Amino acid sequence: MVSGAREPVEQPGGPDTPILHVDMDCFFAAVEVADRPELFGIPVVVGGTGSRGVVAACSYEARVFGIRSAMPTSRARQLCPQAVFLSGRYSRYEQVSEEFRGVLMAYTPLVETISLDEAFLDVSGCRRLFGDGPEIARRLRSEIRSVTGLEACIGVARTKFLAKLGSRAAKPRFSRSGVRTGPGVVVVEPDGELDFLHPMSVGALWGVGPATLGSLRKIGVETVGDLARVPLASLVGALGPAAGHQLHELAWARDPRRVEPFLPPKSIGHEETYATDITDRTVLDREFVRLSDAVAQRLSAAALACRTVTIKVRNTGFETVSRSETVPDPLVGGHAISAVAKRLAAQVEMGDGVRLAGVSASHFLPANIAGTQLSFDLAPTQREGGVTRDPGGVKIAAAVAAIRQRFGNRAVGAASLVSPEGLAMKRRGDTQWGPSEETWTD
Amino acid sequence: MRFRCERDALLESLTAASRAASTRSGLSASFGGVRIETRGDRAHLAGTDMELSIQTVVPIQSSSEGVAVIPGKLAVDIVRAFDEGVVNVETGDDNAVFSCGRSEFTVRLFAIDDFPALPHRDGGSVTIAARSLGDALGQVVRAASTDESKPLLTGVLLAEQAGGLRVVATDSYRLAVRDLPGTNVLSEGNKVLVPARALGELQRILATVSDGQDLTFWLGSTEVTFEIGTVVLTARLLSGDFPEYQRLIPPSYPNQMIVAKTAILDAMRRMKLLIKDNTTPVRISLREEGAVLNVISPDVGHAREDVDAKYSGTEMNVAFNPNYLIDGIEAIPTDDIILETIDSTKPATIRPSQDEDFQYLLMPVRVS
Repeated sequence: MVSGAREPVEQPGGPDTPILHVDMDCFFAAVEVADRPELFGIPVVVGGTGSRGVVAACSYEARVFGIRSAMPTSRARQLCPQAVFLSGRYSRYEQVSEEFRGVLMAYTPLVETISLDEAFLDVSGCRRLFGDGPEIARRLRSEIRSVTGLEACIGVARTKFLAKLGSRAAKPRFSRSGVRTGPGVVVVEPDGELDFLHPMSVGALWGVGPATLGSLRKIGVETVGDLARVPLASLVGALGPAAGHQLHELAWARDPRRVEPFLPPKSIGHEETYATDITDRTVLDREFVRLSDAVAQRLSAAALACRTVTIKVRNTGFETVSRSETVPDPLVGGHAISAVAKRLAAQVEMGDGVRLAGVSASHFLPANIAGTQLSFDLAPTQREGGVTRDPGGVKIAAAVAAIRQRFGNRAVGAASLVSPEGLAMKRRGDTQWGPSEETWTD
Repeated sequence: MRFRCERDALLESLTAASRAASTRSGLSASFGGVRIETRGDRAHLAGTDMELSIQTVVPIQSSSEGVAVIPGKLAVDIVRAFDEGVVNVETGDDNAVFSCGRSEFTVRLFAIDDFPALPHRDGGSVTIAARSLGDALGQVVRAASTDESKPLLTGVLLAEQAGGLRVVATDSYRLAVRDLPGTNVLSEGNKVLVPARALGELQRILATVSDGQDLTFWLGSTEVTFEIGTVVLTARLLSGDFPEYQRLIPPSYPNQMIVAKTAILDAMRRMKLLIKDNTTPVRISLREEGAVLNVISPDVGHAREDVDAKYSGTEMNVAFNPNYLIDGIEAIPTDDIILETIDSTKPATIRPSQDEDFQYLLMPVRVS
């Protein structure tokens, strides 16, 4: 190749609009309405129904009353006492999410799942089969509707960032006076990107939280257009080099990120808000065993081992403490993870009581490749050959997984979790948004 | 205090003493200091962190005697940066001036009163060959633990064994045992546990000694002292019982591989190109025709190498932490090494092809 005669720099997927962002409308609430048609047209709120719950999702009818996700449920009840409050069925949402993903995967394997109800697609390779980006978006919407009975909004653009803003612009509008249908699909044409982007509030940009928003307002930036006109050097001065450069690029609609279909998770965790504060150290340790066990199960399903364990403890005064430890040898199984979690928990003051506890695992390695460093058994015991029989609890973890697969999750577990009612197990999505009314006691 | 000294001699002395001066945070600042006392034509240097003390002597031309505590690491860096030649040192109440040629550094001194008391030698002494102890430490200290939460394993066991000296260390993943027959330093049945850090420093000092040089060994009730030429190293003994390591050593091994040390080390060096962290094991297939080494590194790739070896036993696969394996192989002084195994989850041993004075046990990594 003659030097200087460079190939044009390729944008992700090509020069036009091959990136789709698909976002289901009010997903959890919409699943409930689809399963129970009598809820149609009335305000529905899904989340923690107890005194400490938060709203996970709400229907547009509920949003008209000012209810938003992440709002305390108690506030939502004040805003709209007549709404139907549901504690949510996580496994059902996972099921519907699988159907949703199935529709997307039928078009292209280049699907990057962001959450149960949100995904990016790169359709540059399948346009000859199914039509251009906007055409595929329209087909996807109607197929999602016929397969799941739910509505989705889709943004179509040249980049992920613009597609995401597009899907938001495609959503229905709601105000005190009611809900108005949105366009459903919004296409951001390559020559109209800045006209679309610049009038928006800077808060719409990725990475602009309350702190950054404050710093930007201080230098007179309200819209993305304002931001684009700030010289890069001043932006770097106000926000630091990383954020400064990134926001400058985004403000000029430059976003090099590709759709990553196989992005592995960076961490796997569980946390739980308790109906009554935990004041007993033994009880807290037991909670860490339970949460660790649930984390280990998900790791084992993904055939992963982890090297870092992080715990989170929030006390009655809403102070949240996180502690983490990275160990030299990969951890497999609830026993190994809870040992680290409990060691970390011992360093945390419980204060007047613990309101929330969480465990997460990160720093993953494939479980089969990492292996386990065996060690001598140096404690003076009579064990055969002086070798610990099950270092790291690897065999225990494998046996527990096999028993659970055959007889169900509650068939076997840590002794400390046994109660007269059986095994206290943590299930995914369990009291995710705070304990529900039924379990809440004074 | 005011003296002149050859730069190289001062640097060597200062470096040795400052290695005992702790830089651990939380301790008084003067722990990082090196104490210098001049008496006649000698400067006596000392560094200590209470557990380990190193004292050295260097010839000087003194014009005024005195004592000072200088910041150890900084003084080493300054003297090392000087050109060869004569270094002048002069201390006042608060500062020391180091000058050499046209360079001059003035540094703040530490308070003399804050410097910890230096240990006194007590107990009886024995003289042994410095070189052989140095070699033994080089083979064994590497197997000691650096994990402060297992204090006993951070020690190296020195024990009387059949009239000689046995040196042992383990971090619970590997175990190194070296016998020095005829090196009679401990009375029958006697044993002491010495911090591996101290013996690591002793090993550095011994690495430079010439053949035939002697080392004097003093055993007190709470401390052990080694004197080599002008260097005196004192370590506080660890208390507690070292694990019963003998029962970890299998009586026999069904499988034996003999391989050239350089061949397997070279192969391991190449394998390590694919190893990103310490948890990626090297998998070894032991076959009649020789050994096959494999490293599978997630997201990076796969390396494989055939190594010529003589093998007797059943064909098997076993995996090891590559660094632990390399540590063991490097500790072998002979051209050929012997790797003996039982199965993929029991201890393996690496030992020299000729004598029986050294063995290195190694626990495998379990892979599925």
